[in-house]
Amino acid sequence: MTAINVENLNFAYNDESIISSLSFTVDQGDFLAIAGPNGAGKSSLLNLLIGQLEPSNGNISLMNANLSDYNHKELARKIAIVRQEFVPAFGFTVYDTVMMARTPFFNILGFESSRDRKIVDASLEATGVLHLAQRELNHISGGERQRVFIARALAQDTPIILLDEPTSFLDLKHQIGIYDLLKEMQLESGKTIITVTHDLNLAAQYCDKVLLLGYRDKYHIGEPQDLFVEKKISEIFSVEGTSAIIDGKYIFMPEGRLSGKRKAQ
Amino acid sequence: MELEPKLTFNRLAFSFMLGILVLAATIIACSLIGEKTISLANLLENSSSNVDYEIFYQIRLPRVILAAVVGAALAACGAVLQALLKNPLADPYILGISSGAGVGAMFASLAGLQFTFLGRGPIAICAFIGAFITVWLVWTIGSLADRRNTTGLLLAGVVVNAFFSAIIMFMVSVAKSQDVQTTMVWLMGNISEEKISTVLTMAGATFVSLILLMRLAPSLNLLSFSESQAKTIGVNTAKVRFFAFLIAAFITSIAVSLSGLIGFVGLIVPHAVRLVSGPDHRKLLPMTAISGAVFMVIADTIARIAISPAQLPVGILTAILGGPFFIVLLIKNSRKTSLI
Repeated sequence: MTAINVENLNFAYNDESIISSLSFTVDQGDFLAIAGPNGAGKSSLLNLLIGQLEPSNGNISLMNANLSDYNHKELARKIAIVRQEFVPAFGFTVYDTVMMARTPFFNILGFESSRDRKIVDASLEATGVLHLAQRELNHISGGERQRVFIARALAQDTPIILLDEPTSFLDLKHQIGIYDLLKEMQLESGKTIITVTHDLNLAAQYCDKVLLLGYRDKYHIGEPQDLFVEKKISEIFSVEGTSAIIDGKYIFMPEGRLSGKRKAQ
Repeated sequence: MELEPKLTFNRLAFSFMLGILVLAATIIACSLIGEKTISLANLLENSSSNVDYEIFYQIRLPRVILAAVVGAALAACGAVLQALLKNPLADPYILGISSGAGVGAMFASLAGLQFTFLGRGPIAICAFIGAFITVWLVWTIGSLADRRNTTGLLLAGVVVNAFFSAIIMFMVSVAKSQDVQTTMVWLMGNISEEKISTVLTMAGATFVSLILLMRLAPSLNLLSFSESQAKTIGVNTAKVRFFAFLIAAFITSIAVSLSGLIGFVGLIVPHAVRLVSGPDHRKLLPMTAISGAVFMVIADTIARIAISPAQLPVGILTAILGGPFFIVLLIKNSRKTSLI
């Protein structure tokens, strides 16, 4: 089944074309990475997919229905998003934060049902932050906090989860940790996962498909082996570099003007 | 591991009932205290010639209840605005209500208006109208300037406040001094004796508004993170924001029309309660309302008896008490990121 179908999508901001003639399909249970240079419209694309921006032209359908046919409550049951998040000054706990995903399901007095509690417990468990449940959100590390926000998206109980650069402030170990977690969610719960990333090599290791989004109408979508050809990545990012396969893993190593130069002896 | 949320309905109900009991006890105790102390035994005799009975029911109790209404309204609105503007320094006056009310009140006394509506005089009514028009103005400018963010609203509030303050100063400079005097004393924040029917009408309006605000509490939790996130979780953020502002502006305007400008309550009480009850608005809003009421009743009683037989404007007292208290709170919690 198709989770997301984007057809001939155009988006302009202040008369400047950001995305033009973009078409792609994401099947249910796919893990897609979106990569591309700054300003190519990756975040705009995410916002278009959750209906917070309107396309200037073209069509987006979600689970075989037009995106504009969903009201915001129905949409919230199909698609969840993890963003770079503002952490409020007020000391909400990890548990409180994840429970907030269940807000639309609260009863008339504003409280959760036992089903909501079960979902939250399972989400905390799956993301490995159960032991932090009663800690305050601003007293835990950046990596832990990112997991909490993923747990909240999971608690929203949607078939599709979008992530906007979930690993950008994390060290190597925590980056891998987040990708392992996402992969687990894909393989064990059949979630469709779409993540924006700057890390091509991690994307190639974990994702089934990569969308290389370039400026204006330039883009490539496909499996890593089809995209990790120098010309395609170089064309999108306007950088030179070398692609290689090491132990079956696809690697792209960018090269700058002074790459490899050492100080004079 | 079986997890329990920090806040359950039963726990909330327990805290709420306890709070109501404390408030009721404070109201009765403070109504007994005054220039003439009333004994509870005397009161219970309940005969028509009983002077204590008259003082208690006709004079003190309405005033004390009025103080409770004003305190509850200001404190709860402070908590709501801090969440909506994601700014721990927000208070009920941040959207220009204080200066708007001031212009209204000043206009009423300079124009020499004479009328009463719902038991309130021209200064109070014009202050209410001024406050409400100002909030509408700030809201309109704010959303024209910045549709997606709250910064536009905050800045619009600051600018409109400054503009109307200048207008107040202008009015003061051209007016006769005795006209200005009444308004200035009123603006300082003053709770005075009112008819019980007036007090109960205002109490009813405030109570209903507070209940409506509490319905928005779970959404306010989400909004204190981010508006776009709240939207993707399925909350109609535009609606919640609009109604929360509208209701908060309405009850603040009521409070201002009852008592003039009483500062610090709306800023300090939510912070103090947050330290004890946590940030969850489902608990924060009711507990802030109750605590604000208790605080205001006590402050007004002190204002009544401190320099008796003269009376202190309670607004001055809350600022004098509130300022240092807030600084202590701030320093004590400087290591806790949860405060600011």
